[in-house]
Amino acid sequence: MTALAQEPTPAIRLRALGRRLLMSEYLILYLCIALFGLLFLIEPKTASPYNIKNLLSNIWPLLVVAIGQTFVLIIAGIDLSQGSVISVTSVLGAAFIAQSANPIIFSKSPLWGSLLSEGGGVLNGSPLGIPVALAVMLVVGLAIGAFNGIAVAFWRIPAFMVTLVTSMFFGAFAILLAKSENIIDLPDSFSAIGDSFGINGALQFLSIAMFIALGLAVIAHFILRRTVFGRWLYGIGTNGRAAVVSGVPVRKVIVLTYMFSGFCAALASIIYTSRVQQGRPTLGEPFLLDIIAAVVIGGTSLAGGRGKILWTIFGVIFLTLLSNALSLLNVAYFYVAIVKGSVILFAALIDVARRRIALQAV
Amino acid sequence: MTDTLLRFEDVSKAFFGVTVLKGVSLEVERGTVLGLVGENGAGKSTLMNILGGVVRLDSGQLLLDGNPYDPAAPSDADRAGIAFIHQELNLFTNMSIAENLFISDFPKRRGLPLVDRGRMRERARECLAMVDLDVSPEVLVERLTPGERQLVEVAKALSVDARILIFDEPTTSLTARETERLFEIIGRLKESGKTILYISHILRDIMQLADAIAVLRDGALVAHGPKASYTVSSMIAAMVGRDLKQLYPDRTSSPGTEVALEVRQLSKAGIAERIDLALHKGEVLGVFGLMGSGRSELARIIFGLDEFDEGEVRIDGQPVKKLSPTRNIRNGMAFVTENRREEGLLMEATVADNLSLAALPAFSSRLARAIRSKSLATAVSGSVEALSIKVNDAFHDEAKGLSGGNQQKVVLGKWLMTKPSILIIDEPTRGVDVGAKFEIYEIIDGIAAKGTAVLFISSEIEELVGMCDRIVVMGTGETLATFDRAQFDREALLRSAFREHVA
Amino acid sequence: MSRQRLTLTILRNMPAILFVLVFILFSVLDPRFATVTNFSNIVSTSAFVGLAAVGMTFVLLTGGIDLSVGAAMYITGAVIGMLLQQGAPMLLAITAGIVAGTLLGCVNAVLVARVGLAPFIATLVTLTAGRGVGLLLTESRQFILPQEMRYAASSVLGIPLPVLVFGVVVVVAVAFLRYSATGRQIYALGNDAEAARKAGLNTRRLTASVYIISGFCASLAGVILVSQQGSISAGLGQGVEFKAIAAAVLGGTSLFGGVGKVFPGTVIGVLLVQMISTGLVYLQVDLYLQEMVAASVIFFAVVIDAQRTRILGKLERRNIRVEKGLGREAAALPASP
Repeated sequence: MTALAQEPTPAIRLRALGRRLLMSEYLILYLCIALFGLLFLIEPKTASPYNIKNLLSNIWPLLVVAIGQTFVLIIAGIDLSQGSVISVTSVLGAAFIAQSANPIIFSKSPLWGSLLSEGGGVLNGSPLGIPVALAVMLVVGLAIGAFNGIAVAFWRIPAFMVTLVTSMFFGAFAILLAKSENIIDLPDSFSAIGDSFGINGALQFLSIAMFIALGLAVIAHFILRRTVFGRWLYGIGTNGRAAVVSGVPVRKVIVLTYMFSGFCAALASIIYTSRVQQGRPTLGEPFLLDIIAAVVIGGTSLAGGRGKILWTIFGVIFLTLLSNALSLLNVAYFYVAIVKGSVILFAALIDVARRRIALQAV
Repeated sequence: MTDTLLRFEDVSKAFFGVTVLKGVSLEVERGTVLGLVGENGAGKSTLMNILGGVVRLDSGQLLLDGNPYDPAAPSDADRAGIAFIHQELNLFTNMSIAENLFISDFPKRRGLPLVDRGRMRERARECLAMVDLDVSPEVLVERLTPGERQLVEVAKALSVDARILIFDEPTTSLTARETERLFEIIGRLKESGKTILYISHILRDIMQLADAIAVLRDGALVAHGPKASYTVSSMIAAMVGRDLKQLYPDRTSSPGTEVALEVRQLSKAGIAERIDLALHKGEVLGVFGLMGSGRSELARIIFGLDEFDEGEVRIDGQPVKKLSPTRNIRNGMAFVTENRREEGLLMEATVADNLSLAALPAFSSRLARAIRSKSLATAVSGSVEALSIKVNDAFHDEAKGLSGGNQQKVVLGKWLMTKPSILIIDEPTRGVDVGAKFEIYEIIDGIAAKGTAVLFISSEIEELVGMCDRIVVMGTGETLATFDRAQFDREALLRSAFREHVA
Repeated sequence: MSRQRLTLTILRNMPAILFVLVFILFSVLDPRFATVTNFSNIVSTSAFVGLAAVGMTFVLLTGGIDLSVGAAMYITGAVIGMLLQQGAPMLLAITAGIVAGTLLGCVNAVLVARVGLAPFIATLVTLTAGRGVGLLLTESRQFILPQEMRYAASSVLGIPLPVLVFGVVVVVAVAFLRYSATGRQIYALGNDAEAARKAGLNTRRLTASVYIISGFCASLAGVILVSQQGSISAGLGQGVEFKAIAAAVLGGTSLFGGVGKVFPGTVIGVLLVQMISTGLVYLQVDLYLQEMVAASVIFFAVVIDAQRTRILGKLERRNIRVEKGLGREAAALPASP
């Protein structure tokens, strides 16, 4: 077919380079660097310590929830309910430890009388308050994830449909519980989770959120690369039938994966809630698209079988940079929606292109 | 006077680097039935797929009525008057027979873009009459038996006035009566001038139907001539083509007396009927049968992939209540399925990942299930060496880049790493080249010698005769006969497998 | 009939059964529910959801999904509002709006049929970006429409115009799916995409057409809703896609493709969904509790669909043992869908 004796023309060389770049793992990292450079040129404030802190504080929680989504995408699923898990756990967690609650606003809420009352949350003032609130949030995340997983694995409902419905249900539930209001007046010790340690100099960027995110990333990376569970995830995502025959407990793994995704969403909610210092029933709403965009643009395939924590880290950085840029440049809301939609589209197109190239390379 | 309708000239085809057809040259005369026979993987289906526009040839050409014929898609073949009745029927179960017949070419009302249901029904009735199918054309296909659906496919071919009809193993789901009816129809088609290409494993049927016979072996045409010059035995001889003794390794194992796996009165509606089986340690028990005899289904039930209605499965003497792959693997069972692409391998994963998939739990720590990568890597490399898997870098090369034989060895290797005491293998040498076949036979013999019980399912008599200690013959979900090594006889085995169809 | 076939029959007639049950339930809980005025109110507010649901049915029949319906409605409304503001004649504004909405459907068609994106991702993208585009056009402003646009309140021969439009669309859709070649081929594609390809059907064209049809129906729904409400706000059409999916699936259309009817199926589904919404409003249920109920209803519908598909799949299994005289119920059977 091809005359191999031909000297490669510049056009062919360029195409080959383009192909190598596309297939490279670090594509998104390059894009991040390019984007950062571009932003710096347009708006030098981008590199200010204040902005960097801002960037980082957005990166950590997004990374946490994106790690959960990465696992789900690897088994060729999807979890559209993470945003709602963030919302509902935020409300529930705050309800336990609020230091006061306005009866005019909250008396009609289902939580009134049980969790919430005039004196605040039921565990207000108790030393167990915050730990229990955190535990409840995580358990709720696990429970919603379990429901998603069971519906997908045992009742054979398409993942997007299950998590879409769960998203609707718990999103509405969160607003119902909080009567569309934010639960304010949370104890300072809780809000400290999202803050930095107040150290100056080079260490000013450290925060509890950072340790949570990086710690989770390390654990998740370990699971994916070094454990049996990780191998099972990739196997299921690559060929579910072969996985069954090879003895992988597919259904159990699917349930656990969605539980992990719910857990990550709840964990991220802890960080977000402490940052805004409120229990917000709409906390997770803006994030659904961000999460998927970040994971997919990082290189994890929507079709399953491919994905790495490192890629997700790159994707999260990219998306946060992008959001940061859009807000620095004061871009209107509707443009943001268009841009985010385009990012997912762009990422999905790269994914399709990559798979096509991989198929040809046999 | 020869009237050649179709000519294959030096047709070759390779899939993923594996040669499937090697320079096949063949002529088919108008108005005749050509019987196409050969073992699994000989290339019959691929040759017909090329004719039917499903795949494209790599080199050579096809001539139809003297003109070059190069279909890029099935629709081109349709237009050229070639109808392919596949083994896997392509009917839409949610639609009526009539709609299925005219799905790509509905009769329309004059001028309007609306389907003329009346005319469609009429024409459908005519087509159904041609195949003697006495069912209303309005009936949904999902209500039809497999035999009736087969006839609908034939009717579809007739409705487009095809001049060449290709049948690929058409009788696997037919009752005896339906098979007879099909043969009558084929006879009538021939008389009306149609040309028929008939692929089948059932050599007796070929002898009945065909005017000429072509035998393929390992992708090459090894024999071609009028039916009169063949017998069932000569066909088999042509298909095998070499001395039996040389092909198989000397058996070093011999069966023990302990029963490793026992199946008692296993039944499942429509699939299996009171099957009894006893597999001993160190024994290689063959399961022979024609296409559709229920062997793979039985294996899937034993391994826990499908459920069963009645009966019992005992491993090491203990009855197992709920069979599942995970539990069976823990009890030492392994299953090499017949379709490595769909269920045996992770094509986009590395060879190493594939090899380790089933044995992972054994190579992990108790806590956290962390993989002991060094010991796993050693085991994987050992496996690659022991099985002579030809791969550059098992830890980076993907399974899909390997040849069929090496892919099959990877599947075997995966299971051997679980150190099974019972190994079920289904068509292990399908799509595998000769050299690799021998290596696989050696591996199987080696496993049995170490005491593993092997259940060897195959449609190739020679293979079973060469490798097994006993052979069970199955047909339509029942066990028909059992042969001890001393009684092995190719003709006798084939005859007992045919018994169902003779009735 | 075997137990499996019995379950299958029940599952197949679920729409009608549910309709009756829900009607009885709400009538018992609040007698005001069972009045004629209430019912005609339900029917007339169903129109816009119904239109979207009909379009959704087409997409579901091929095994796909269209999550961008609400955005298409909003874009239609936005274009109409903007043009009317500029003083354009009403007919022009409406036509332009419909074209705009259908264009979103075309984008979906390209993404799914040509590029090969999974339908849920493609339509999720157009849902977000589409609404963004709509907001861009209107600059998030709210429009109050001139009186002439509110003609939707009028009736022709005693039937409210929205219901009439819905009825016409239903008739055309039913005729299309039953009597046109493309319609029948859509069913085939949903049943077995591989077989459709082998049969020589232009699967790309078929896939593209259902998304364009859905976009068109959504734009019609947008026109109706906008004229019923008399205004266009940023949240117009939000959440309609779920109601449309619920209506179609409750009406018997399968998420997995190849099964479903616009009439009576989707129509009953639409009435059912509206009945539940209206009933909940009558019972003065909290707005967000309503949404939770809506989500549960969709989930219920989808679970039934999955069960039905699973049982059908089991019955389809190829049998090796063909017993003599076993089960050919073919002889005296009703006609095809």
